[in-house]
Parts: sequence; structure tokens; C-alpha cells
Amino acid sequence: MVDLLPFLVSGLGIGAVYALSGVGLVVLYRSSGVLNFAFGALGAIGAYVAWSLLDEDWPQWLAWASAVGTAMVLSLAYGRLLAPRLSHRDPTIRSIGTLGFALIVMGFTEWYWGAQPRRLVLPTDAEALEFADVRLTYTRVLGLALALAMMAGIGLLLSRTRIGLKMRALANDRDLSALLGLRVLQVDTVAWVLSGAFAGVCGLLLANIVRLQATLLTFLVIPAFAAAIMGRLNSLPVTVAAGISIGVLEALAITVPGFAPYRTAVPFLVALAAILFFRSDARKA
Amino acid sequence: MKHFIQRAMPVALGLAALSGAGWAQNVSCGLNNGKAATGEPLPIGAVVGKTGPDDFSSAAGAAAAYFKCVNANGGINGRPVEYIVADDQWNPETATQVASKLVKDRKVLAMAGNTSFVECGANAKMYAQEDVMVIAGVGVPRECFNAKNYAPINSGPRVSGTIAAIYAAKKYGAKKMVCIIPNIPSLGNWACEGPKEWGAKNGVVSETIVIDPGSADATSVMLQAASKKPDVIIMNVPKGILVPMLAAAEQQNLGKKIHFVSSAPAYNIEVPKAIGAYWKNNFDTNLEFQPLEGGGPDNKNWLALMDKYGNKSDPRDTFSQAGYLAARVVTEAMLKLDPKKIDRAAVSNALRAVSGFKSDILCKPFYVGNGNRHNANNSGPMATSTGTAWAIAPGGCMTADDPELADIRADEKKMGIK
Repeated sequence: MVDLLPFLVSGLGIGAVYALSGVGLVVLYRSSGVLNFAFGALGAIGAYVAWSLLDEDWPQWLAWASAVGTAMVLSLAYGRLLAPRLSHRDPTIRSIGTLGFALIVMGFTEWYWGAQPRRLVLPTDAEALEFADVRLTYTRVLGLALALAMMAGIGLLLSRTRIGLKMRALANDRDLSALLGLRVLQVDTVAWVLSGAFAGVCGLLLANIVRLQATLLTFLVIPAFAAAIMGRLNSLPVTVAAGISIGVLEALAITVPGFAPYRTAVPFLVALAAILFFRSDARKA
Repeated sequence: MKHFIQRAMPVALGLAALSGAGWAQNVSCGLNNGKAATGEPLPIGAVVGKTGPDDFSSAAGAAAAYFKCVNANGGINGRPVEYIVADDQWNPETATQVASKLVKDRKVLAMAGNTSFVECGANAKMYAQEDVMVIAGVGVPRECFNAKNYAPINSGPRVSGTIAAIYAAKKYGAKKMVCIIPNIPSLGNWACEGPKEWGAKNGVVSETIVIDPGSADATSVMLQAASKKPDVIIMNVPKGILVPMLAAAEQQNLGKKIHFVSSAPAYNIEVPKAIGAYWKNNFDTNLEFQPLEGGGPDNKNWLALMDKYGNKSDPRDTFSQAGYLAARVVTEAMLKLDPKKIDRAAVSNALRAVSGFKSDILCKPFYVGNGNRHNANNSGPMATSTGTAWAIAPGGCMTADDPELADIRADEKKMGIK
């Protein structure tokens, strides 16, 4: 009998970052109606910036701030320069626009930093909590704490604050919101900057926990999408729970003989199952 | 360009001292007579995976530099080599198309420096049907070491992993090992079967864990490997996956309980720095050739030749060593032929007759022979991470005692090779 507990604990760390990424996706979707495929690519370029600065012996906090700042600036640039030009198009086209942006950012990152093996070390790696013979580094604990804190924080922002109300109004009907006097660009700015900040933080954590590789980090948006879909692109608590579950399931899948070499399929299977379940759910209703 | 600089600069800087020495050294190649070749060109081809997941054109870059040197030094008894390199884009269909063009349209006499993940499976049969010999630079999948007309200069992941296992058994007294390999077609279990089959004959148990290289979760792989309570974990994975896996092992502090060794992909000058001080004197890798900074005359000649005839952006890596050697093998075989009577059949026969080809880049003399498959390079040294670089382990070259090499050993015996 395989002891599943170590894999469960191990999956918690990665699941937390999937959850955090999922929250980042839902925030932008709920405030602008765009599914941001560039989320992973923005996080990746931020992580590479941090690595370069740390390699030059810059202070840790400055490297992290630069990583988050880079992702925020790029996200804002897209949100202010390109996204408004697509704002009257179909939601699918608006989302595919971010895929194009993701590929450009990923291509630049691959080109600029190349394929040499690199590792992003964070000070929180040094200490760990021990459960079931597994060390849960503070980086993973931080990811878990951030996912829960952001879920609560963003939930409050969207439901209890004026800017949150404006964001929801904009996502619901952009033209009507503008007619009512809502400052569309101001709200867009907040939404894209917030999404960029999430991407930057997730990029740093994922580059540390997973690996510093642009392509992989770019497409790690997929498990986050699966989590967001489970939350119907709306519910933050369900998104967080789904992100953590996907991480844990992916880790547990390694114990299944025959399936282990293909366990990256877990997020896809979860997303497919969710779509099927919701379809039948909708029909019943 | 920046990409090239990023990739090539660390290598170039790392070898700066040696390159400096290269300026002072006379470059040797072919007839070495300083006269430019002017006769009818002799077409030699190569298929490489340049564009795709990774750039595998370094061996062809070195072979091109070598042939350039040959052409400036008398060519093949007066005739220059026309070296034609085709990119298969890591696509088997493209690999078949470009190889057919080279072999059937351009009528190449032989191939030198091929390095591709997909072309062995796609083209090996055609090369045999058309009787074209391929002296490949670096072969990775199983098919590269199981074809009649395909002879790679390198030892391959199976032999390399087996040497790492033998070393680990000797150095650490290991009795139980776990070999980790990605689920890449034609690589999969095959590359870890070497340590397993060698272990079965030598009282060592080796289990294989096949992993999904795209998985974000390296920690679970390390935990699964550790749960089997091995003395040694053999990493048989590309360096891009190796680094995060060792990071995960470090986070679980596994390096203090289990010894880690690797097949050749870990031998990259960036790896010791990337994995960090935790692995100082605690992580060993096999090398398919002698070290890049080796002081032997042929290794020095390779570096000097690359400085004089290669592109500045060409990496000076193990792939480059292999391409240089492949071009040397083909050149020296063709130099034995009457320049007026050089055709494909003559070149193929001359290449099959290659035996006792010596270079200090290799542990043992290289040969081709008439066997059904080729794995002439089956020895290599080991190196240990010092935290910032690699230090060659004492004991020198080790030979893979892989049971799968029985037919190769039989061929060697027939050829009188010890």
C-alpha cells in the first residue's frame, strides 16, 4: 500500500500556486470580461527579471519588486494599448488577443535569456515545516497563505468597495457603464495592474517551486484555467479549492501505475469533467 | 543574436584561457598543406534539429569549421568538401524530406555530424537502402544506436547511464538504485534498462521511474524515488529538467541520505552553478567524451580550429567536440581514396573500414565496422560538482558493462579491437 500522505502534502504547495493563479484570472475576468492567456508569460518574464537582478547581487526585495513591477507594467501596457481596441469584439476574440500577447512575451523571454539552466532561489526555501516526512518549504506555505488571503481580499474588493462595483459594472456592460459616467480607463487600469501583480507574484513562486523556464511557466496557466473554470470564472473560494485539488491530484497521480508518466493531463481532465458536469447541471435547471 | 550570445557566452568565457592558448597553436586538419582545394566538390550532408525545442546544430557547426579548414589545406587530395546542412525542425516528416533531398537529389557521398532527436527513426532505413554511411555527432534515441548505416560518435544515454551506475556502485557501495527517465518515445525505459541489466548481473537492484517531463511537480517524483529507499538515484533527464529535480531533492534534503548521479546531459558548465552549493561533492555526472578543457593535442586542436574556422557564436560544447570528430573521421577515410574514383560506394566502404581512429577527446579509439548497429563509444570519465564547476573524478575512463552491448563486443572481437 502506497503511503499517499507525502504526495498529498507535496501537492499542497503547487496547488496553492495554481489557486493563486486562478484567483488572478478570475479577478480580471470579473472586472473586464477577458480570460488572460498571458498570465503565465507575464509571470515568467517577471521571474527572469528577478533572476537576472539576483545574479547581479541586487537586494532580494528589489528583485522581487522588479519582477512584480515588470509584470504589472506589461499587463497595464496591454490593458491600455491593445485591450480597449478589442473591447467591442466577441469575448473569445478578446481572450485570444491575450494569447497572441502571451506568445510574444514568451518568445522574447526565450530569445533574451536563452535555454541555459537557471534556478530562482528564494530565502523562504531555507526553512520548512515537516509533515509525513515531507518538508513543506516556507515558499509553499507562503503560496498557500497568499492564495487564501487574496481570495478573501479580492472577494472583499469586488463586493464591498466602490472600485469593485465599477469593475463588475464594466465587465457586465462596458458601453452602458461608460454612458452612466463610469471612468472606463481608470477601472481598466486597476484591473490590468491587479492582474499583472498577481501574475508577477505567481511567476516568482512558480519559478521557484516548479522551474525557471519560460515555456513551461507560460503554459502553467492551463491548470489555473481549470481551477477558474471549476469556479465558473466567478467564485473565488471554489477557484481556490479547485486549484489546490488539482495540485494534490497531480501529485497523487504519480502513485497510479501506468498513469504517472502522463499526469500533466490531470488539469485537462479536471476541466473537462467540470465542463461536462456544469452542462448537465445547466440542462437540469 | 542575443539568444546565441546568452548560450555561447558562458561557454566561451569558461574556455577563454584555452581559446587564448588556441591562438598560439597551429591548427591541424586534412592534408594540412596550406593550399586551397580547387577541384570538383565532394558533397557531404548533415541533418540536424536546429529549430524546435532546442538547437542541436552545434555538431554540424564544428563539422563545417573542420571542412572549411580541410578545404583551405588541400581538400580531399585536391577536391574541396561541399558541406550541406539541413534542419529537420524536430519534425520526423521534415527529417525524411530533407534527408531524401540530400541523399537522392544532392547525391551526398556520406553524412557527418548529424544530431537530431527525430531523424534516426525517420531515416535510418533509407540510409541503409541508399548505402549512405552516417557518422553522426550525437545520437540520443534508441534508433540512433540500432541502425546499420548510422554510427554516432557519442556513447548515448543508455551507455552513459550505465557508466554512472557502475561508478555509483564503486564509489558509494550502492546496492539499490532508482533510474529516472522521461517518457520520450524511443528513449523511455530503454536508457534506464542499461543500469538495470548491468545491476542484475552485479547484485545491484535498479528500478526505473518514467516521468512526464512536462509535469510541474518535481517534488513528487523525488518523493516517489526516495520512497523506494535507494542508495543512489540516477538522473537520466535533460539538464532543463535535472536542475528543478535536484532543487526539489534539496528542498526535501534528500542529498544527505541518497547519492545522486547523472548521465551525460548534466555535463554543462552552467549546471554546477545552477544547482548550487548543496550539491558540492555530492553530485556526479558521466561525460561522453574527455572534458572540454582537456589538455590533449586533439582537444586543443578542436578549440584552435573553432577559433580560426568556426563562427564566434558556435558553442564550444560536447556536441561541438562530436561534430569535429565526425568530420575528422569522414575526412581521414576519404583521404585514403583515389580522388578521381570517389563515389558513394567507395566512401561507404572506406567509412566501414575505419578502425583504430585515435583522439584524446575519446577514451578509446573509434571504429565503424560492418556491424548491424554501432556504439563504438562506450567509455567515459565521471565528474563531480564542486559547487561552481566540474572536477574530473579520479580513475579516468570507465567502460559500460551493459549486457546489451554483447553484439558490439562480438563485432569488436571480430575486428580485433580490445
